[in-house]
Amino acid sequence: MNHYELLFTHMGTVLHMQYLVPLLVGTIAGVIGGALPGVTITMTVIVVLPFTFGLDPLQGLAAMIGVYVGGSAGGSITASLIGIPGTPSAVATTFDGFPMTKKGEAGRSVWVGVWSAFIGGALGGLCLIELTGPFASLALAFGPWEFFSLFVFALSMVAGLVGRSVTKGLVGPDPILGVQRFTMGIHQLEGGFDFLPVLIGIFAFAQLMPDVEQIRSGERQIAANAPRQISLKVSHLSVFWDILCRPFILLWCTFIGVVVGVLPAIGGSAANIMAYDQAKKFSKRPEKFGTGIPEGIMASESSNSANVAGSLMMIMAFGIPGDAVTAVMMGALTIHGIQPGPLFISQQPKIAYGIYAAYLLALPLMVAVIWAGSGAWMRIIMMPKSMLIPIVLVLCVIGAYALGNSMKDVYVLAIFCVIGYAMVKARIPLAPLILGVVLGDQIEANLIQAVSTDANPWLFVTRPISGAMLTASILSIGLAVWQHRRETKRRAAAAEEEDTDF
Amino acid sequence: MMLSRDGVSGLVCLAISVILLTQTFGLPPATIVPIGPAFYPRVVLSILMLLSVILIVLDFRTVRTAAAPAAAPAAGPPSNYRLVLATFIEFGLYILLLPPLGFRIATFVFVLSLQATLEWPRSSKHWLLAIAVAAATSLICYLVFQDYLSLLLPRGTWSGM
Repeated sequence: MNHYELLFTHMGTVLHMQYLVPLLVGTIAGVIGGALPGVTITMTVIVVLPFTFGLDPLQGLAAMIGVYVGGSAGGSITASLIGIPGTPSAVATTFDGFPMTKKGEAGRSVWVGVWSAFIGGALGGLCLIELTGPFASLALAFGPWEFFSLFVFALSMVAGLVGRSVTKGLVGPDPILGVQRFTMGIHQLEGGFDFLPVLIGIFAFAQLMPDVEQIRSGERQIAANAPRQISLKVSHLSVFWDILCRPFILLWCTFIGVVVGVLPAIGGSAANIMAYDQAKKFSKRPEKFGTGIPEGIMASESSNSANVAGSLMMIMAFGIPGDAVTAVMMGALTIHGIQPGPLFISQQPKIAYGIYAAYLLALPLMVAVIWAGSGAWMRIIMMPKSMLIPIVLVLCVIGAYALGNSMKDVYVLAIFCVIGYAMVKARIPLAPLILGVVLGDQIEANLIQAVSTDANPWLFVTRPISGAMLTASILSIGLAVWQHRRETKRRAAAAEEEDTDF
Repeated sequence: MMLSRDGVSGLVCLAISVILLTQTFGLPPATIVPIGPAFYPRVVLSILMLLSVILIVLDFRTVRTAAAPAAAPAAGPPSNYRLVLATFIEFGLYILLLPPLGFRIATFVFVLSLQATLEWPRSSKHWLLAIAVAAATSLICYLVFQDYLSLLLPRGTWSGM
């Protein structure tokens, strides 16, 4: 069977009720989670996670892919209707979506976003299907030197932010001899920390507590200002025309979304801003951006949706999560004893093609869910946080407990809840932490494997791919430092200018 | 001289790295493989230590050289840290009481109390809604996970539920 025959066969499989129901439920949860301000896609996928433990791997993945695709588009509803991004990946949608709504074109604003997400996602899906195999073949040529350098490169992309998370991987047994490290005599730490309770803990409180801080003022203010009912009726043909008569923006922003998705730990929050910026630069009417034009919404939403495909590509080919959502998916796969990486497609074709199929089917489901709920979105968006937060926290506890049917993981969750909130208050970004958590162990294992195979340390530099990755890592860190210095100087100059005004 | 958040983060990371680095000297040496269990932690912790020192120095220099700009006016409403603290305490109690009370009772109490903490129900209708949400969360989660997904949830050692 060739590539596409396998794909169509698995699409047929995913259309069976046992897979379609989790996919649909995941998509509904994703759209709602994405639309609720303050509830991110990561939070939604964490909430859905415990429900997937009792399912078979593809059922669980279908649910998570539904969340991912639905959440990416769901964020744009809130961004367009009330000017608050439902998720960080919909920030740029507010720039033109909300002004368009204020002009009385709420339906056009939402549906340009939704259909752009659909088309961008479908094009991204094509890249996912076509490029994952070649990427995996490339990864198969990698030895431990190349993997070590690739992981170092992935970490260097988020230079300066991963220190604490890499140290997390140091607790518990070392990966080769199993010697206990930094357990401080605590018996419960001898197995190390499981990845998922750490992830759930970090994200749960880090993302919910800022909402709790504002619960008695900000939320009511939004609720008071927002209209209760907005009609989303629109001519879908004219929306399609809005999108398809601007093919360059659509294709270019989709491309940006896929590329950013492939780069580790950057994610949709950067993709939508970068795509918006590019669309503005290439536009014949850049001065109109921010006033409610479809190009701005298209740029943000197509890149945001294509970003999902890029992240899935990276996890399937290299076993490196593109963002926190794919990190949770990776955790869910490892629970079932499946390790994503170069051999994933050849060893688990049913799951690999099932992922492609679920992704492609989630796109029309996402459109259908948003269409079906179009009368209720304002009510859903305004759901009180006081009701939502306790439920989310209970599901986080279940997610941690169900991993090993033990309270140990719940205690780990509680510890990392505190750490996650402390990180938010210290303004340490959470996304890079995920890479540190996932890759910390693997870097060490590959380093030891490389040195055990050949003790010559220069091989890390002289092997072409490994050397190129390490060079790219140094350049990446250099670029980050340069950008930081430039920004500091710019701020200082701006401050001086302000002073001279007085 | 007061350090900013970056400086404080650097100090915390520096303290952690120094403490853990000293502990690596108690780890056994390499036997089978060329590098032992202490090698990788030492590399990571040394980098962390170096970065922490750079962060502290940069922060110190920034704080000193900056011409003490006036603090930017706070954007948005003030943060309600009492509510955050209350949420942490209630969540901690929930986790502690899960084994003795069992999932159903502990979850009902936690969801109801946290709802009331975050937004006090102002009428009997609001109370009824909060109680219904707490009961539904507890029972639906229990039924879905225990009966449908075959995941065992904590049974109370005191309550037997």
